[in-house]
Amino acid sequence: MKNILTIIKKEFSRFFRDKRMVITVLLPGVLIFVVYTLIGSAISDIVGVDENYKPSAYLSAPSGYSEFLSLHLEPKDDFTEESAKQAVAEGKLDVAVIFPENFNEAFDTENPPEVRVYYNSSVTGSAAGFQIVNMLLSKTNRPAFTINSSAQKFDLASERDLTASITSMLVPMLMFSLLASACISVAPESIAGEKERGTMATMLITPIRRVELAIGKILSLSCFALLSGISSFIGVILSLPKLTSGFVGVDTAAMYSVGDYFMVFGIIISVVLLIISAFSVMSAFAKSVKEAGTLIAPLMILIILMGMASMFFTASPSIGLYLIPLLGSGLAMASIMSFSASGLGVALSIISNIVVSLGLVVLLTFMFKSERIMFKK
Amino acid sequence: MEILKVESLTKSFKLSRKQQKTEKTGLAIKVAVNDLSFTVNKGEIFGLLGPNGAGKTTTLRMLATLIKPDSGDAFVDGKSVVSEENAVRRKIGFLTSELKLEDFFTPNYLYGFFSELYGVEKSVAEERKKKLFEKFGIDRFAEVKFANLSTGMKQKVSLVISIVHDPELIIFDEPTNGLDVLTAKVVTDFLEELKSEGKTIILSTHIFSLVEKLCDRVGIIIDGRLVALDTLQNITKECNLETAFFDLYYKVTGETL
Repeated sequence: MKNILTIIKKEFSRFFRDKRMVITVLLPGVLIFVVYTLIGSAISDIVGVDENYKPSAYLSAPSGYSEFLSLHLEPKDDFTEESAKQAVAEGKLDVAVIFPENFNEAFDTENPPEVRVYYNSSVTGSAAGFQIVNMLLSKTNRPAFTINSSAQKFDLASERDLTASITSMLVPMLMFSLLASACISVAPESIAGEKERGTMATMLITPIRRVELAIGKILSLSCFALLSGISSFIGVILSLPKLTSGFVGVDTAAMYSVGDYFMVFGIIISVVLLIISAFSVMSAFAKSVKEAGTLIAPLMILIILMGMASMFFTASPSIGLYLIPLLGSGLAMASIMSFSASGLGVALSIISNIVVSLGLVVLLTFMFKSERIMFKK
Repeated sequence: MEILKVESLTKSFKLSRKQQKTEKTGLAIKVAVNDLSFTVNKGEIFGLLGPNGAGKTTTLRMLATLIKPDSGDAFVDGKSVVSEENAVRRKIGFLTSELKLEDFFTPNYLYGFFSELYGVEKSVAEERKKKLFEKFGIDRFAEVKFANLSTGMKQKVSLVISIVHDPELIIFDEPTNGLDVLTAKVVTDFLEELKSEGKTIILSTHIFSLVEKLCDRVGIIIDGRLVALDTLQNITKECNLETAFFDLYYKVTGETL
């Protein structure tokens, strides 16, 4: 029994006397709080903008209802019922609200009249419009009518659009998580591992320029992570129909053009470069592979959250958002997957990742030059 | 002709509260190397003697450009360790237990890798590798992973790797530590051979007999200061090196056994 206490005392004094250990264990909590708060407020800002959005609507409704709905919708008159449905399917109009003829007279509790609301769930504005119409109609005093009760198709999104909308939400999040996992399996071992084992010092006494060492490390590690990234992407695209069983019926891989794949590939390269550079910096700062893992953990969370955050911006993000590293890449990837890619957005997202990566290469070079970072026990 | 000129080299480290307690000092800074100056002549073996913690390794690390001095400078063949690090790195070889080789690779690969980092021409590197591998018996283990080599063979490979670029000045920090007598002899014989080739060697060791056998001149460091610098002949004029060292140590520190 006495020895249990002796061991516990030794472990406690090992842990609590090592400031770095305590900090690295507590740091993730602090960082998660900061990151969640920042992303949360960013998302609520975006949602706030969406709330002010007035969906465009074709209204075939009795007067009174028409005026009431127009308070929150942008009425468009230049449609017939059929052309309005067509426009909704094509994403040119958000909703088409069709009241039955003689609605005011058709008061029959046995057989209540039906208000038909056509929308397109693959278009963010249209999905929001459908919700607004639903909410508004439920506020009316008249009790006996139904909304979309008959057995026809009111969601006019094509299977291809639906697939694209699901793909565009899932792919950035899955890819970011998979790429971050690929990077964390190579970066700490190659940099913190070499430091820990003393093999880094052997390289540092040779005349190799520190910037060459930094670039050599980052490029080779990026290649390893990229291989994993490409195989992950192929896996994601091919498994998507099964993953989303029921929702997606079309062959996802065949939906996209060679150009789309090239753009995604370009984004993946830049994301890998950025993640590897960031992980390398953390690994160079750490004294051991284990410590590098702890330091990288909060970054992993940030990366995965960035992948998730891109889901909330799918409507039509302002071009400036593409300049935010990682977030921009998520948005660009989502835009390609939903067939609404902006070439400029994709290019900006790649450029922003590369610029930040270059900054991190410079930082890593300085770290390799610093005896405090490289040799402090 | 001097190949190394050390001028007022000084290096201090911050001490934690606990270290201050252990060292019984209220000072937050420990001066590891204090105003050290000496020169090493071309073609000689210069011995650096001193107890543990005297500042020998810190001095050697500064000379090898791993760490920077707080003040002072050292010049290897005229090149400053502070401002011309890469030129210095090309001119020196450094063998110390602190510098490790990757366990995963073979001696053959490691030799090629470090030759490239030092910019040695491929044909020259191959020729030197053949000669050195044969001399140390590494050729039979050239394709064995470093991790699987014996302690003696590992040290031989480390020694060979430290001189892939045929440096003018070679710094050996405890080169025979942990080696059996046979391997230790191979290493000491090689130091003499290097000297006969006109190379300059700085040898840091605790083994007095090694210094007596090999060194032309000796510097003794105690508490970061150079307390003696002379030819081996002059230092051992009245007694052997061990007695001379202890006399000096007690005189400087005021301690007695």
